[in-house]
Amino acid sequence: MSGEITIENVSKFYGEVLGVNRVNLSIPPGITSLVGPNGAGKTTLMNLMTGLIQPTRGTIRILGHATDEPEKLFKLVGYSTQFDSFPKGLTGFQFIYLYLRLFGYEARTADELAWRAIERANLTDAAHRKVAAYSKGMRQRIRLAQSISHNPRVLILDEPLNGLDPLARAEMIAMFRSLAVDGCHVIISSHILHEVDIISDQVILLSNGYVVAEGQIQDVRNEIREHPAQILIRCSNQRQLASKLIESGLAIEVRTHEDGHGLLIKTGDADRFYLALNRLVQSGVDVESVLPADDDVNSVYEYLIGTEGAAV
Amino acid sequence: MTRVWLVQILAVIRLEVKKTFFAKRGLWIYLLAFMPLALFVAHAIVLGHQNKDRDRIASESARPLTYQDLTSVTREMSREEITQRLGKPPISYAWDERREDTPGSSRLVICESYRYSDGANDLYIRLEDGKVVGTTLGQHESLGENTVVFAGVFQFFYLRLAIFFGCLGIFMNLFRGELLDKNLHFYFLAPIRRDVLMFAKYLSGLLAATVIFMTSEALQFIALCWSLDSNVRNAYLYHGHGFAHLAAYLGITALACVGYGSLFLAAGLWVRNPIIPAAVILIWEAMNPFLPTVLQKISVIYYLKSLCPVEIPASPDTPAIFAMLISNPEPIAAPIAIFGVILVSFAILVVSSRRVRRMEINYTTE
Repeated sequence: MSGEITIENVSKFYGEVLGVNRVNLSIPPGITSLVGPNGAGKTTLMNLMTGLIQPTRGTIRILGHATDEPEKLFKLVGYSTQFDSFPKGLTGFQFIYLYLRLFGYEARTADELAWRAIERANLTDAAHRKVAAYSKGMRQRIRLAQSISHNPRVLILDEPLNGLDPLARAEMIAMFRSLAVDGCHVIISSHILHEVDIISDQVILLSNGYVVAEGQIQDVRNEIREHPAQILIRCSNQRQLASKLIESGLAIEVRTHEDGHGLLIKTGDADRFYLALNRLVQSGVDVESVLPADDDVNSVYEYLIGTEGAAV
Repeated sequence: MTRVWLVQILAVIRLEVKKTFFAKRGLWIYLLAFMPLALFVAHAIVLGHQNKDRDRIASESARPLTYQDLTSVTREMSREEITQRLGKPPISYAWDERREDTPGSSRLVICESYRYSDGANDLYIRLEDGKVVGTTLGQHESLGENTVVFAGVFQFFYLRLAIFFGCLGIFMNLFRGELLDKNLHFYFLAPIRRDVLMFAKYLSGLLAATVIFMTSEALQFIALCWSLDSNVRNAYLYHGHGFAHLAAYLGITALACVGYGSLFLAAGLWVRNPIIPAAVILIWEAMNPFLPTVLQKISVIYYLKSLCPVEIPASPDTPAIFAMLISNPEPIAAPIAIFGVILVSFAILVVSSRRVRRMEINYTTE
């Protein structure tokens, strides 16, 4: 069985409306975030990966399985959708228990798995209340609980942190991390970029149905040549360092950081800049720390997609 | 694999049956199903009162009367002759009426009404000035009449309308209703084959439809039997075709649910508006007697009509269109009819399963 999720030349059109176009991806285990403004194609891509919609062109294989074989696919995949609707009259426990019964699990196994998932989602106290009476955050958590209830190897989560309070967000992020550490593919769509930055091993940036970048965030940043890299240098003698950097000809722009305790440098060639900086340090210039200042998702997103839709 | 399917099918049925039986939007199905029952119960109650009334009148007669006694009264008989033959009337009314014989001259007419009964039939006699001017014999409804009425209600209302529209409400909602409620993804995200899911949903719809409509049918039959005289009832049930008729009606009801259920499940997968398939199928089924034989076979009513246990007689006064509807010039043998409905339904389900496998969740377009 293949250990990857592969999307080959996939396009989806709703009549004449573009969903996604010519998407080619290979997603390894770990946390992968789909980032993009509304209408970028994040949910379409997730629905394609779970067979809720079929591609107009191209093929998708999830750990070697086609998406039109739900009987095989959903033993491996859990999907927490954005659809905020539930079968009527069910309690939180029944919602997950009956879902597990659809897997063919015996009553006892389904019961155990349901409780385990409910505990992981911190909903034990509310398990016997009707889902219809849940708050938005609780509904989000019960959906998450359902998606992890059968211990899937691929977890696809559409805006999973929406509606959650800060504590619950932290708990969920910790859970995603532990799943990723265990070798699970966790694919998350989000437009909250600082959270994506914290949790993602890799990102896929989407815009207007196209994948505009993919990979580890630093690699993506390095590939954006038209925007100079920003580097923050903490040092004791800012004036001396600034003049030496300008002399080297590698700094396009040098300015004092807004907190007054460092220099913010813009350079067109980050690799050569770091080599030059090493030489300066060896010659006795005092440098406390060097940090890339714009290799976060927010900067990459802004460079590639623009500020519109980027909620930070 | 079969065992997993069985567990999955049972899980779907468990989820669906509750929804189908207790959905508020399905209340009208119960009304439709139990409407004929209300009719037959009301009929049985009225008939019961009439029978009691007859018994009371018969018991109040001067002597026990026979049907021949009641029919022996003719016009122009005198009051005395009647009382001589039938005894003093248990119920009688008398009143005066002023009649105008010629313009300007009128006379007073003494009118009387007598009612006799032999316990099963009523005789109403009208007298004017002591002479019989008219008689009406109210005969007890026969078993034959009752079973024909029952067959008529079954064929024209229950089968063609109640079960038809009831199945429309139940089976079209199996997928279409879930799409409208934005719940279908719940099933589509489980590791269950789509065709197994469709079959499980169909079974749950079938369970609901057969329970509702067969219960109503059985109760209607009980109401029919209740309205019969106890001797007639016993003869009908234990020495006649009573139980065979009941079994036939229940069987036809179940087969109708099988047939119409598959049709409307398929319609729910292809069409958004239920009115369109309902109208098309209703017209197709109604047109059945007027279609060529080959086309007649592609319908549910064609097979069900042949299974009906009581033929509705067409009198010369019956309008041609009704005569066509009730006529069945080439009845099919029961095993072929049963097999036909199942085969048509199976074919529809096979085609539907292909549709389900390609079905997409796109709630925004619903």
